[in-house]
Amino acid sequence: MFPGIDGFHWSFGHVVFLSLFFAVVLTILVTIASSAWRATQDFRNHRAIDLWWRSQFAELPLADRRCRHELAGRVISRTCDNAFDCRHCDKYSQFAVLPSTGNVSSTGLEYWRDRYYHRGHTWVETAQDGTVTVGLDELADHLVGTPDSVALPEVGEEVELNQTAWRMNKNGREIRVRAPIEGTVLAIGGAQEGWYLKMRPRLDLREPGTLRHLLRGPEVQGWFTRELERLQLQLRAPSTPAALADGGVLLPDLMNVLPEADWDTVLADTFLEA
Amino acid sequence: MASTALSDARWIDRGEERTSLPRFLLWLSPWALLLAVGVYASGLCLYYGLNQTNMDNRFAFGLWIFLDLGIIALGAGAFFTGFLVYILKRAELKPILNTAVVVGLICYSGAVAILMIDVGQPLRAWFTFWHPNTHSMLTEVTFCISCYLLVLSLEYIPILLRNRQLRRIPSFLVFEHQLHKVVPVLAAVGTLLSFFHQGSLGGLYGVLRGRPFAFRSGVLIWPSTFFLFILSAIASGPSFLLLITAIVEKVTGRKLVAEEVYRRLAFISGVLLATYVAAKSIDTLIWLNYTSPAAGFAPWQYYQHKPFGTPILFGEIVLFGLVPALLLTFRKTASSRGLLLTAAAMACTGVLLNRFVLTVQTLAVPTLPFDEFLHYTPSWQEVASFAGVIAYGVILYSLSYRYLPLFPPRQGKDSHVSGN
Repeated sequence: MFPGIDGFHWSFGHVVFLSLFFAVVLTILVTIASSAWRATQDFRNHRAIDLWWRSQFAELPLADRRCRHELAGRVISRTCDNAFDCRHCDKYSQFAVLPSTGNVSSTGLEYWRDRYYHRGHTWVETAQDGTVTVGLDELADHLVGTPDSVALPEVGEEVELNQTAWRMNKNGREIRVRAPIEGTVLAIGGAQEGWYLKMRPRLDLREPGTLRHLLRGPEVQGWFTRELERLQLQLRAPSTPAALADGGVLLPDLMNVLPEADWDTVLADTFLEA
Repeated sequence: MASTALSDARWIDRGEERTSLPRFLLWLSPWALLLAVGVYASGLCLYYGLNQTNMDNRFAFGLWIFLDLGIIALGAGAFFTGFLVYILKRAELKPILNTAVVVGLICYSGAVAILMIDVGQPLRAWFTFWHPNTHSMLTEVTFCISCYLLVLSLEYIPILLRNRQLRRIPSFLVFEHQLHKVVPVLAAVGTLLSFFHQGSLGGLYGVLRGRPFAFRSGVLIWPSTFFLFILSAIASGPSFLLLITAIVEKVTGRKLVAEEVYRRLAFISGVLLATYVAAKSIDTLIWLNYTSPAAGFAPWQYYQHKPFGTPILFGEIVLFGLVPALLLTFRKTASSRGLLLTAAAMACTGVLLNRFVLTVQTLAVPTLPFDEFLHYTPSWQEVASFAGVIAYGVILYSLSYRYLPLFPPRQGKDSHVSGN
């Protein structure tokens, strides 16, 4: 194998054979090492989180990847190809100026005009002091009801956009709530206050693009309508043909009301899990 | 609607329908039992030695080597598909790339496991690397197979990390992303390694001067069997892949890949098989008329021992060579699912027959005047060890199919409602 080892000869064939072997082994090892090194660099340069989210986003069903402009009725059909990153979407401004013609009928779910909504069913409310409050929206609240347990981040912890902000457990299922914005956790609210995070955003809220990736106004209405339609189809009784109810409101604590439903799929669609 | 009791649904890709966990476990249980018997038999061989087999000094190659050579040839679909997709940029074969990697990994890891039992003394396995005999074809085989198994394992990692739960772990997913970028390099290395070890396995027989039935002339240090093994492996590999995919489609009742993929695999396999048959025919004619007479043997001598008569030669070249080559190549016959699968099965049988003839007939036919025609029947330990490898293959493939994205997402996955 090596000079000095019993069996090694300085013959042409021996040297060529072993050189080829070592070249192959070296290529394989360098390949693995470079992948590991580049992955480490991705984490150091904060690219890893974005890569991870984009990869997860690509695995989401088409119906979960609808563009905000489609939800608002500004375009007939458009699939987001930018992982919901409207901050860096070159098509955003092109469509944002178009009039909204989407559904404005009541969904029976409350949403606040001054809040910004993330597709993972969280909202962001800004405060005068430059901080934000993050909470779970009405639809998610109706689904989960009272969670069996909640794991909120520690005060001072950094939270990344689209990554897990906090975890909840309900009926043996883990629910990961995605963060609608990146920043540092300043305070947390418990069960009494309705689970929330108070955060200092990493980006300046005065910049117009900071909250651009979140839904507002008619986009929220259109999105809620679609989400309710999805829920009605997913939670219908087994062997029942697909049909939409014409009226009624969502019952609270649906996970307990309909324990036999396919909650893996429902929760994955609701909280953007691939 | 999915039941929450004894369910592994959260490990299965969304939109993919799989049988229930209890039924899946029921499917696995007989294979697990077979694997346990195989492990026991292998343990006997490793602990007591090769006296547990019916091989001896004369019949040193038996069932294990024959089947090893067979599955290594059939596993060639892995490197060849990688070569076609990544090096020749044949994107239409991408849908079967993952399943090709899994099939290749099963074939090669199974073959290496059996080789380790056959060689024995696993604690001294490093000797072959530390003190290599570079004049031996087997050394090249050992080096190449070890490296290629490593390559296949690395190619399997990105598929493994695409599991629904594993890809939720950021470090796994980012590593998978980076590893995926270098897969073309691994595919190129795999092609080089496979090319040489398939060839060296054939060359091993071609250099046996003391066995004129197998001995062949050739080019420089490589006998013709070196090239014939490569050709037959890359010809039968795609057929085996085609066959496995069709079997999985049948068992699962799902359409996994487009018909065009089948036809493309069939065409590649057919053309290569036709080339192999032509090369094999020329090689046989040279051997019958020059190589064998030069060694002092009339060709008929090899074929007077039943069951190794001339029909076996006819079967190898015509029945399981030329016939499937024609059926696979022509679009009209390849369009019929029945004919296509029959032809693919015949092509795989042909390569197995070739490995059988070279392993068993080579050792069975007498060479010296006082030699007798030898009979060999494998012991139950040999059969059980190999059955264990087959069981391992079925289990690994079943687990991979259930939990990993071996095929493109099913049609309609984008629907919101599972099952719609």
